[in-house]
Amino acid sequence: MKAADVQKSLAAVAGVQVGAVDYAARGFHVDVTLPSQEITAVVQVLDQEGFFIESITGVDWLGEQEALAKEAAKQAAAAKKAAEKAAAEAAEQAAGEAPGDAGAVAAPAAEPPPAPAPEESPEPEEDSFEVVYDFNHFRELCRVTIRVRVPRSLPELPSISDIYPGANWHEREAHDFFGLVFTGHPDLSPLLLPEDADFHPLRKDYKP
Amino acid sequence: MSVLAADPTYETFVLNMGPQHPATHGALRVKLVMDGEYIVEAEPVLGYIHRMHEKMGENRTYHQYLPNPSRLDYLSAMACTHGHVATVERAAGIAVPERAEYLRVITVELNRVSSHLLWLGAFVLDLGGFTPLLYAMDDREQILDLLERVTGSRLTYCYFRFGGLYNDVDDDFVDGARALVKRIRDKMPMYHNLITKNVILRQRLEGIGPISAEMCRKYGATGPVARGSGIPYDVRKHEPYSVYPEFDFDVPVYEQGDSMARYLVRMDEIEQSLRIVEQGLDKLPEGPVMAEKVPKIIKPPKGDYYCAVEAARGSFGIRLVSDGTNTPYRLKLRSPCFSNVSLFGEAARGLLLADAVALFGSLDLVIPDIDR
Amino acid sequence: MIKMPNNPLARQSDEHPPVVQFAALDKLLNLGRANSLWPLTFGLACCAIEMMATGASRFDLDRFGAGVFRPAPKQSDVMIVAGTISKKMAPAIVTLYEQMPHPKWVIAMGNCAISGGPFVFEGQYGIVEGADKILPVDVYIPGCPPRPEALIEGLLQLEEKLTGHRRFPRVEPEVAS
Repeated sequence: MKAADVQKSLAAVAGVQVGAVDYAARGFHVDVTLPSQEITAVVQVLDQEGFFIESITGVDWLGEQEALAKEAAKQAAAAKKAAEKAAAEAAEQAAGEAPGDAGAVAAPAAEPPPAPAPEESPEPEEDSFEVVYDFNHFRELCRVTIRVRVPRSLPELPSISDIYPGANWHEREAHDFFGLVFTGHPDLSPLLLPEDADFHPLRKDYKP
Repeated sequence: MSVLAADPTYETFVLNMGPQHPATHGALRVKLVMDGEYIVEAEPVLGYIHRMHEKMGENRTYHQYLPNPSRLDYLSAMACTHGHVATVERAAGIAVPERAEYLRVITVELNRVSSHLLWLGAFVLDLGGFTPLLYAMDDREQILDLLERVTGSRLTYCYFRFGGLYNDVDDDFVDGARALVKRIRDKMPMYHNLITKNVILRQRLEGIGPISAEMCRKYGATGPVARGSGIPYDVRKHEPYSVYPEFDFDVPVYEQGDSMARYLVRMDEIEQSLRIVEQGLDKLPEGPVMAEKVPKIIKPPKGDYYCAVEAARGSFGIRLVSDGTNTPYRLKLRSPCFSNVSLFGEAARGLLLADAVALFGSLDLVIPDIDR
Repeated sequence: MIKMPNNPLARQSDEHPPVVQFAALDKLLNLGRANSLWPLTFGLACCAIEMMATGASRFDLDRFGAGVFRPAPKQSDVMIVAGTISKKMAPAIVTLYEQMPHPKWVIAMGNCAISGGPFVFEGQYGIVEGADKILPVDVYIPGCPPRPEALIEGLLQLEEKLTGHRRFPRVEPEVAS
C-alpha cells in the first residue's frame, strides 16, 4: 500500500504528525499536521514519491480559540456541577446517616471544586489560519492532506512554488482570499481579484 | 523573464490577447511577450469572471448551494453537481438508491459527450474550420433535448439531489438514449473522415504544444490533458465512485503529449462514454430514485471531507469543512481547468502565436471553471 | 475600488439629435439596420454557450440577419452581454462598448446581466449587479441561461424598437386549460 509507505517516509521528517484516515468516510488516506517551517521538507518527500499537486487552500479559524475556551469552561462547569452533585449526594448519604445536620455537612463538601477559575484568566491563544495542501498520486490510490497552522497576525509560511511550479497559482489564490504570505514566492499579486484589490474576502471577519 | 534579463538589447513586444478574444472562449486574458511571431513569455491573467462561488458556499445552506456547481463548468454541469452531492452525501452519510446512481452515470456520460462535441466544434473553429461546428452542434442539440426532458434545463442542470434525483426517467428517455447512442456512433466515422484525416488539421496539431507527463505532475493537470501525455489517470477508474466499477470501459491514453494526442483522447472518450450509456441502459435497475430518509436540514458532523469526480475536463474535487451546522464552514472547489491552464505559460514558450491558439483549444478551457 | 466610467458618449445621441432629419431616409436606414444586426462575439459565461447554440445549426440566427458574429467591436452594431459582469471585467466591457460605432444597441442576456442573478448576496465583492449599471441596455432577456428561442425573441424585440413594427406575428404562450 502506497499510503503506508508515504506515512513512513513522512514521519521521518522532524515535527511531523502523520495519521491514517478512514478513506470511505473522509475521502483521503493520509492526514499530516506539521509546523510551517517543515513544509518544504515534506513536499520534497512527496515530490520524490511522485505525487502531483491537487490544490492549496486556507481555512480561517476565527473564533476557534474562543469557542475552545468556552467549550473548556463548559466542560469545567459541567465537571463542577457533577462534583457538586456528587458532593450533594454524598451529603445526602451523610444526611441519611445523621439527619438534622445535612446543610452543615454539604456546605464544606462543595468547597474544593473552584479549580476552573484560574484557567479562565489567561488570554485565549491567538486564532490561526489553517493552510491545507492536497496531493494525489497518478498511479496509486493515495491522497495526502497536509495541514499547517499559521497565526492570524503573522500568516507567513514558505512557498513551495520552486518544487511544484503549479503551486504558484494556488498560493497566489490563497493570498487573494486569506492574505496568507508565502515567503519566497515570485509574485503574490492578485490572481482572481482585481489588480488593485487590497481585501481578503474569505476571511471570516471580511466586510465589504 | 529569463531571456530578457540575460540580454537587455533583446527586442520584444507585449501582445495582449483578451479578455475579449474569440480564441480564449470567454473572459480570459493572456499577456504575451513576443519575439516577432514567436512567444517568449505567456502569462494568463485570470479573474475576469470570478463569481465568488467559494464565498457563496459559506453563505448558503447545502440545499441552497445546489444550483451553483452547474455554473462552474457549465459544459459538464452534471459532473460538477455530481461532485457536490457526492461530497455532501459522504459527509452526511446518505445512501443513494441504485437506480439513482445508474441514472447519474448515464446523464453524466451523456453530458460528457455533449461537452466534447461542443469542444470539437469550437476547437476546429479556432483552427479555421467552420463546418464541423454545425455538425457537432446538431448532434449536441439531440443530447440536450434528451436531457431537457428529464432535467428541465438545457445547460445548467440541477438534476441531482442529496440522496437521489429530482425525478425519474420514463421509457421515452430510455428509447431516446438508445437511438442517440446509435446516431452518434454512426456519426463518428464521418467526424474522423471530415476532421481527423484532414491534412491541414494534422499539420496544425501534430507536434504542437507538447506537454510532458512530468509537467502534468508538477502542475496537477488531469483529464484529457494528462491522458494525452501518457498518464492513465481517470478518477472513474482510479478512485471508483458511484456505480462506475459495474461498467466496462477503457481509458484512452496517448503518449505523444501534443495537441493531436489530446484531440484523439477526447474523440475516443466520446465512444467510451457511449459504451457506458449503453451498458447503463441495459443494466438500469428498477426501484426508487430518492433515498427514503434524507434529512430536511443537512448537518454533516464536524470535520473535513474530500470527494473527486471525473468531469469532462479532469478531476473536479470539493473539500468541505463542516462545523456541524447546516452551512459549510469552508467549501474549496478544486477545478480541473485551473490546474490545466496553469501550465500554459510553460507549454507556450517558443511557440508560434497561431500554434498557441491550437494549444489553447486543445486544453479545452471553461473560463468560469478557472475563476470560480 | 474600481471606478465605473459614466459613459457621456453613450448618451450623447439621445441628448443631441441631428439638426436635420430626413424621415423617409431614416426609416430606410433603420430597416436596413434592423435586418442586419451584427452582434459582437463576446461571451462571458454560461449564456455565451446558448448564444453559440443560437448561432449554430438548429436555431440559425442567420435567418434574422443577425448571425454575423464579429470579433471586433468596430464592425458590430449590437452588444449581447451574455453572462456575469465581474468588477474586474466591467472597465473592459465599457471600453468595448465605446469602441463600437454609432448607432449601437445593448442586449442584456440572462439574469446575471439583468441584475446579477444568482450571484447577488449580502456581502458580495466581485460582480456588477446588472449591465444597466454601466451600459444603456435596450432589451433584457430573462433566463439562467435563456433558451435560444428567447435570444431570438430578444433580437426581434430590438428590431421592433428600431423599425416600429414587428417582423413576425407574436407567439402567445399556450395557456393550459
